[in-house]
Amino acid sequence: MANVSKAVEVGKGHGEHGDHDHAHPSFLAHHFDTPAQQFNAAKLGMWVFIATEILMFGGLFCAYAIWRAVDPSIFDQAHHFLNKKMGAANTVVLLFSSLTAALAVRSAQVGKRKATSVYLIITILCACAFLVIKYFEYSHKIHLGLLPGHCFGHPGFSGAIQNGEEVGTCLRVHADQAAGTPQWVRAIDEDGHVQLLPPRTNMYFGLYFMMTGLHGLHVIIGMSILGWVLVRNMKGQFSKEYFTAVDLGALYWHLVDLVWIYLFPLLYLVGKPE
Amino acid sequence: MATEVAHALAHPDDGAVHAHLSSAQFYWGIFGALVFLTFVTVMVSYFDFGSANIVIAMVVATAKAGLVATFFMHLRHDKLFNTLTFLAAFLFLAIFILLTYDDIGRRGEVDNDYGGTIKAQTGQVAPGGEPATSATADETNEKPPEAP
Repeated sequence: MANVSKAVEVGKGHGEHGDHDHAHPSFLAHHFDTPAQQFNAAKLGMWVFIATEILMFGGLFCAYAIWRAVDPSIFDQAHHFLNKKMGAANTVVLLFSSLTAALAVRSAQVGKRKATSVYLIITILCACAFLVIKYFEYSHKIHLGLLPGHCFGHPGFSGAIQNGEEVGTCLRVHADQAAGTPQWVRAIDEDGHVQLLPPRTNMYFGLYFMMTGLHGLHVIIGMSILGWVLVRNMKGQFSKEYFTAVDLGALYWHLVDLVWIYLFPLLYLVGKPE
Repeated sequence: MATEVAHALAHPDDGAVHAHLSSAQFYWGIFGALVFLTFVTVMVSYFDFGSANIVIAMVVATAKAGLVATFFMHLRHDKLFNTLTFLAAFLFLAIFILLTYDDIGRRGEVDNDYGGTIKAQTGQVAPGGEPATSATADETNEKPPEAP
């Protein structure tokens, strides 16, 4: 710490003369006076980015809010096709990964390089576990035919199941298409109960796949960022004086956690229980 | 405020990074609280509180998000401006959702069978509404009686 302070003081002195070249610590970019200034600027930038991320997800949350207000019944019915236990397990996995990300930052703050690496590895492994659980959920739903356009497609489109036709567990009922009767779909939910899904239930599954899909993309990006931070940490590029990338990488990971904290109840929990 | 002053006094401005350091046990405690809240929200979902279902779920989720943002994301000991930036996102998200909601709400009623928006009185397509099927389109193609 003393070394840095000394270096910074010298750096300050040179800064006044517009000469940064020699006195800055190696991690301090040319255009910053002090490590603290650099750290705070990076953090502010990250928080602005996080705000834009929230607004990007906001489009989907807005769509959710509108459709839920328009027709809550499709949410009541369709949420039975989501496995609460898997969702809860994934929530705990992500929360735990957030904990290890926070502990990785803490280790970096106190200059424990090895511990930082271990916590980062655990965080990345949790991200893998999350994706594996998500894979099982997705493949089950795809098997059931709940992707947009299959069970729920307009009968006029190719690939959509036709009236009265049974594909997998989906059966399109109310076959009187000519009279313009709304399309209901019968399918078997997570508890093995037969559910009669009202028209436009595809909106729910569309939102489910888009929201969890965009979130899943963030999980993958977050893993990549944490992997990059891990490599840099193992190369010894961080110290208790300079750990900005660890901090910001963890912030990104916490954002992934934050989004899931809202997605889980919105998609898995808020319907009428049976 | 007093703690911040003390904090500043403890670390004279030498230009080095002085991030607040929480203990590992503290982070584990936050994790425990988050898991507990997850357990609560899952258990509560097995009971029906009618329209309060979503309110309860969102209150618990916001409590969890608050814990993550405040402690895991260090906002508690960070610059206030970062917190304001974060909260501004939610302010604009609220404006986005409320204006959209208001817009949708005033365009006419949603046709429960076909998904298009119609004027309740006449069955005509409401401004901005799209007929979702030929059935609603047919209704709207009927011209209103012409004035003599």
